[in-house]
Amino acid sequence: MSVSETTTGAPPRRGLTRRQRHRFVLGGEYVVFLAVVLAVVLLADWDTVRQNLANWDVAKQLFPDIITVGLRNTVLYTLLAYAFGLVVGVIVAMMRLSSVLPYRWFAMLFVEIFRGLPALLIIIFVGFGIPFAFSIEIPGGVVGQITLALGMVAAGYMAETVRAGIEAVPRGQMEAARSLGMSYGRAMRSIVIPQAFRIIIPPLTNELILLFKDSSLVLFLAVTLEQRELTKFGRDLTGQVGNTTPIVVAGLCYLLITIPLGYLVRRLEARQRRGQR
Amino acid sequence: MSLRRRIVAGAGLCTAVLLVTACGGSNGATVQGAKLVRQGQLTTCTHLPYPPFQSTQSGKVVGFDVDMIDLVAKKLGVTQKIVDTSFETIKGGAALNAGKCDVAAAGMTIKPERAKFLDFTKPYFNATQALMSRKDGGVTSLDDVKAKKLKIGSQGSTTGEDYVRAKGLNPQSFDNSAAELDGLRTGQVDVIVQDYPVVQGWLKDPANVKFAIAANLNTGEQYGFAVKKGGNAKLLQMINQAITQAEQDGTYKAIYEKWIGACQNCVPS
Repeated sequence: MSVSETTTGAPPRRGLTRRQRHRFVLGGEYVVFLAVVLAVVLLADWDTVRQNLANWDVAKQLFPDIITVGLRNTVLYTLLAYAFGLVVGVIVAMMRLSSVLPYRWFAMLFVEIFRGLPALLIIIFVGFGIPFAFSIEIPGGVVGQITLALGMVAAGYMAETVRAGIEAVPRGQMEAARSLGMSYGRAMRSIVIPQAFRIIIPPLTNELILLFKDSSLVLFLAVTLEQRELTKFGRDLTGQVGNTTPIVVAGLCYLLITIPLGYLVRRLEARQRRGQR
Repeated sequence: MSLRRRIVAGAGLCTAVLLVTACGGSNGATVQGAKLVRQGQLTTCTHLPYPPFQSTQSGKVVGFDVDMIDLVAKKLGVTQKIVDTSFETIKGGAALNAGKCDVAAAGMTIKPERAKFLDFTKPYFNATQALMSRKDGGVTSLDDVKAKKLKIGSQGSTTGEDYVRAKGLNPQSFDNSAAELDGLRTGQVDVIVQDYPVVQGWLKDPANVKFAIAANLNTGEQYGFAVKKGGNAKLLQMINQAITQAEQDGTYKAIYEKWIGACQNCVPS
């Protein structure tokens, strides 16, 4: 059943036409998908699932603390780290684009380190390494530590995003601004960066989602009861009640934020595509 | 064509089912009536590091609990294999229920609320809690910590943490004992609460020469090993036998002296 045979449509052909083959493959995909779903449904021990993963009585006792403490702290840590990361990220991006060579080196090194290391390592380093090495305390306790640690991780990514955004703004914009008598800094601030941000809002929102999830790593620092974020909260409760439901509920709380954010990213991307055409 | 389609469909279904069953299927075994999740192995769940009960030394997990469970493994004619998992999954029974291991040995205190999710063995260790702080910290009791508004650290999901919380303190909760010790050393907290034998073990380390036991909290705790709730009566019985036997023939004392120190009324029963 060579291609030429099927496409020329010679009457005494063997095998399948292209369309038949397509249908055949598609049918196979459906069957495999259904089989997997069926297997999962049949093999899951639903009583155990209900008892251990979706236990309503357990879930009920999580509220309202899982929202007022867990979700609140998760959002707080994320937003603080994001704000910190954005400021540092923009600075690093400017350094990366600077004409001063050591600035460019520093910016590249910064990006490589904080983008290349796992967030957990950076958190442990900030939490335990820096106080050891310099015997200083990071101001703000756990909140300060997490803002710094996660903020640096975010800055590593955002510096590159911002740089790409600035480079995506047509050169003519800068040249036009300069020819109107604006200084380089003024042109950057009021002409280039605003346009760059318009371009990079979707990837920056994506970064917010990533950061939101990474905030779960706070549990590796020392937290008090009211500093617990969603993951630590769920883990603690799981141990206390001997049931995995709190982890599931914590997971749903994350989705409560990440799904609307994901929707927002898609909307923003769609708007941008329309704007470009 | 429809035949081929059916064959492909059938093959797909088989693969899917095989895949799922292979993942969920067990290659466990039953040895002398005790159920094991892995053939030829007695799998132990613990939360590392927790010296002197279990910690990693030159690539191997060693400690008091390890030696005790080794006695059981020997009785069964299998080798002990240790898996590291977070403590709340151990005390809440999730690790055992999920078939991650046969026995939990994690310097774990027998508590009624934990016994709801686990089947505990008889006590194998008498323990108390201790406060550890700098020698010049001026702390001699929990009341001092409260009065001076000192920052206290604890290990998450442990009895020590519960104890100081019940006394009205709000400790900073560390993920594991090593992080907790680091928290003290880096000055994140001024004092930590931890099981007495663990603190005692830390203080043997010259790196901790600046620290000392600030107070003994006589909580009268006893450690137990645990198996899956209602799931492994025979193994439970064999562990109990091993503990009793070790206590009687002097093995317990030897293990105690090896890991903890001089044995003064150390035998729990």
